[in-house]
Amino acid sequence: MKRFLSLVLSLALILGLCSFAHADDLPTITIMFHGSNVTDDSAVLEKVNEYIADKVGAKLEVIWGTWGDFDEKATNTLATGDSDVDMLFTCSWSADEFNTYAKNGFFEPLDEYFEKDPEFGNALKAALPEALMQAATVEGPEGEKHIYAINGFKDTATQNTWDINVTLLKELGYTVEDVQKLGFFGWGEIFAKAKEVKGDSFYPFLVEPAVAERMVTNTIIVTGDSGSVNLLSYYMDPTDVSKADAKYGNVLLNKFATDEYAAFTKQMREYYQAGYINPALAVAETSNDTRTNAQKEAAYLIGTQSYAYGYEYSAEVIARGVEVQFLPCTEPYVDTTVSQGAMVAINSASQHPEESFRFLALLNSDPYLMTLMNYGVEGVHYTLDDEGLVVFTDERANYTPWTNGMGNVTLLPDTQAEGKGFRESFKEFYASGKAVPVLGFIFNNEPVANEMAALANVAAQYALALDCGAVDPETELPAFLEALNGAGMDAYLTEANAQLSAFLGK
Amino acid sequence: MTTAAAGTGKKIRGRTASLNRFGKGTQAGFHIVLGIFALLCIIPFLFVIIISFTSEESIRQIGYSFHPLSWSSQAYQYTFQLGDQLWRSYFNSFLITVIGTVLSVLITFLYAYPLFRRDYRRRNFFNFLSFFTMIFGGGLVPTFVICKSVLGLSDNYAALIVPMLFSPFNVIIMRTFFQTSVPTELIEAATIDGSGEYRTLFQIVFPIVTPGIATIALLVALGYWNEWFLSLLYINKNMEIIPLQYLLMRMQRNADFLAKNSAMIGADASKAAAQLPSQTLKMALVVFIVVPIACAYPFFQRYVVAGLTVGSVKG
Repeated sequence: MKRFLSLVLSLALILGLCSFAHADDLPTITIMFHGSNVTDDSAVLEKVNEYIADKVGAKLEVIWGTWGDFDEKATNTLATGDSDVDMLFTCSWSADEFNTYAKNGFFEPLDEYFEKDPEFGNALKAALPEALMQAATVEGPEGEKHIYAINGFKDTATQNTWDINVTLLKELGYTVEDVQKLGFFGWGEIFAKAKEVKGDSFYPFLVEPAVAERMVTNTIIVTGDSGSVNLLSYYMDPTDVSKADAKYGNVLLNKFATDEYAAFTKQMREYYQAGYINPALAVAETSNDTRTNAQKEAAYLIGTQSYAYGYEYSAEVIARGVEVQFLPCTEPYVDTTVSQGAMVAINSASQHPEESFRFLALLNSDPYLMTLMNYGVEGVHYTLDDEGLVVFTDERANYTPWTNGMGNVTLLPDTQAEGKGFRESFKEFYASGKAVPVLGFIFNNEPVANEMAALANVAAQYALALDCGAVDPETELPAFLEALNGAGMDAYLTEANAQLSAFLGK
Repeated sequence: MTTAAAGTGKKIRGRTASLNRFGKGTQAGFHIVLGIFALLCIIPFLFVIIISFTSEESIRQIGYSFHPLSWSSQAYQYTFQLGDQLWRSYFNSFLITVIGTVLSVLITFLYAYPLFRRDYRRRNFFNFLSFFTMIFGGGLVPTFVICKSVLGLSDNYAALIVPMLFSPFNVIIMRTFFQTSVPTELIEAATIDGSGEYRTLFQIVFPIVTPGIATIALLVALGYWNEWFLSLLYINKNMEIIPLQYLLMRMQRNADFLAKNSAMIGADASKAAAQLPSQTLKMALVVFIVVPIACAYPFFQRYVVAGLTVGSVKG
C-alpha cells in the first residue's frame, strides 16, 4: 500500500520533471496576462523569440489568463512564491492586488534595474510619461517607496459618459443638447415619449447602477475601499475636476448618507416605477447580461458607459447599427484607481528578474515588439492596407490578447476601424486628463478589515436595489444606513479620513 | 419473564408486517408525493434542454421559457464547429474520471482493509493519520506548493488526478462497510483453509464488499467528473488537457468577472462581454456534461441499493 502510494507519487514527480527537461541554453521567462482570448500563440511566439533572443537574452513563454481565473491564479502564484512565473499583469481594481502585493513584498522593486540596464531603462523612461511612473511608485514591505511595476497606457485618464442612442432620440424629436440641458433629473418626459413610441416592453434607461450613481453625484472610487460594493465617496467639483467639491471639501464620506445620494435614489425610484428601467438590472446575476444584450441590440435610449477614447469607432458600437454618441459628465480625470489601471510587475520569486526587466522595457518602448505581441504576425493575423492601416484577418480570432492589458498601446499602429491618426489623438486625449486632488491616495484598509467585510455584506444587500430604484428609498435607505452604522461605518470612516488627512498633510 | 419477552417480540413483528401494507389512499398519497419529488428533479434538467434548443432571439425577448417563441439547434451546431477543444475536453473528462476512479477506489480499498482488520497492530495510528486530515487541512497555499513544487503537478494529467486520489471520508465509509459486512470468522476460516492474505482479500472479501466499492466509485467518479478547480490551479499553459467542466466554468467565471468589474475595465469589458458565448451555448454544454453521468447513475444504483439492503452475516 505504502509502496504503491510512493510509486504513484514518484511517478508524478518524474512526469513533472520531464516537463522541465527540454530547456534551451537561453533561460525562459514567463509572463501572465489578464483577460485574453488566445488559442494559438505559436506563430507569434516564434517571431517574438527570434526578435528578443539577442536583445533580451531569454525565451518568452506566455500564460494567457482569462478574465474569470486571473485573480485566483495570480494570487496563488505570488502567495506561493512560484518561480515559474516571472512577470504578471497587475492593477488596482482586481482584488486591489497591486498595492497590497507590493506591500507584501510579492513584487520586485524595479528602481535598481533602471540603473543596471541604462539602455533599456532610458528607452522605457522616454516612452512612458512621468505621471505613469509615479502611479506605479508605491510603498513596499519596509514602507519605502519603489517603482513596483511598468504602467501600461490603459485609460490614463477616465471619463464617465451617458451613452445615447441618437437615432432613436431623433425619432422621438429630441437632440443630444436637450438631453444635456434637461439633465438626469429631467429625463422623465423623454423616457415617457420613448415608452409611448416603442411599446411597453421597451426600457429606455439602461444603467449600470453603481456607475450611474457616481455619474450623477460626481464621485470617484477610492482606491483601497471595499471592491465588491464601494462604501466611500469622494465628491469632486464637476466643473473643475482638479478641485474637491466646494460643499464637502477634501473628505471621504459615507456614500449612502449624503443628500445627493438620497436625491439620486429618489429619482431612480421614480424612473423605475414608471417602467423606464428593466427590473432585470436590479438583480446582480442578470444585470450585466441584460445590459450587454440590450446594448448589442441598441434596445435603449440612454445608458451609462465608462468611456475609453475612440470607443464610438469600435466594432462593437458600430455593430449596434444606430448612431451612438457619448455625452461626458465631466472632463477626463485621473485618480489613483485609474492611474493603476493596467500594469505589469515582476514576481519577486523570479529567477530571471534582469531578463524580465529588459523584456518589459523593450515591450513598452519598441513598436515592432508591441505590435507583434498585441496584433499578431503581419500577413497572418493582420494585413496592412494602402494607407498602412491594420486590417485584421480571420486568424485574429485565435489570437486576441487584451490590448490595453499588455502595456504601452500608444506604440500600436492605427487600425482601419479606428482611422488614421487615432493613436495621436488618443495620446492627446489622455494627456489632457486632470488629476483629482486626492490622486495618489491609497486607503490602507487593514486596520478596519473586519468592519469593511461586515459593511460590504450589508451594502451587497441594499445598494444595487437602491441604485436601480427597485426598492423604495423612503423606507429602505434609513434601514440601510442603520444597518451600516451597526456594522461599524463610523470606525471605517474615521480611519479613512485620518489616513486622507495624513496623506494631504504630507 | 421469557414468555413475556417473546410475546412482545411477536407483537412487534406483527406490527412491522402490517406496516408494510398500506391502504389505497395512503399509497396514492405516497405516489403523489414521490411523483412531485421526481418531477422536481427532472424539470430543471428538461428546462436546461429546452433552453439549449431555444433560439437566441427568443431568449432576448422573453427570457428563459418552457414555451420559447422559436426553436433552434444553433447552439449545438456551434459546439460541433467549436471542434477540437470541445472534443478534446470531453475526452479529457472521460479519461480523468476513469483513471481517477479506478486508482482512487483501489487506494481507498487497500487503505481501508487493514484498518478493519483487528489483528493489524498499527491500525489506530493509520486510522488517526487519515482522520486527522479531515479536521485539519493545510489550506490552499501549502497544498499548492506541495502539489506544484514538490510533486511537479502542473500542466499534466497527473495534476488533475493525484490531488483527489485519497479521501479520508471514503476510507471511513469503506472501513465501516467492511466492519458491517465482512465477519472476522470468514477471514479466520479462510486463513485456516490455507488462503494467503492476497487471496483472502481479492477472492473472499472483495466479492462481499462490491456494493461498498460501487458506492465509493460513484462518489469518486462524480467528484472527478465535476472537478474544475484543479484545472484552474494547476493548468496554465497546456490548455489541451482541461476537462469539459472547466471549459464551461471558465465561460461562467469570465461572465461573472466582467459583470463585477465592468465599471473598472470600462469599454474593454463591453468588448469582451460581446465575445462571450451565448446563453444557449452554455446550456448545450451543460447537456453535454450531464448526460454521461446521468447515464452512469442507474448502473451504480443497482449496487448502491443492494449495499443498503443486503445483510452479510447469516444465522
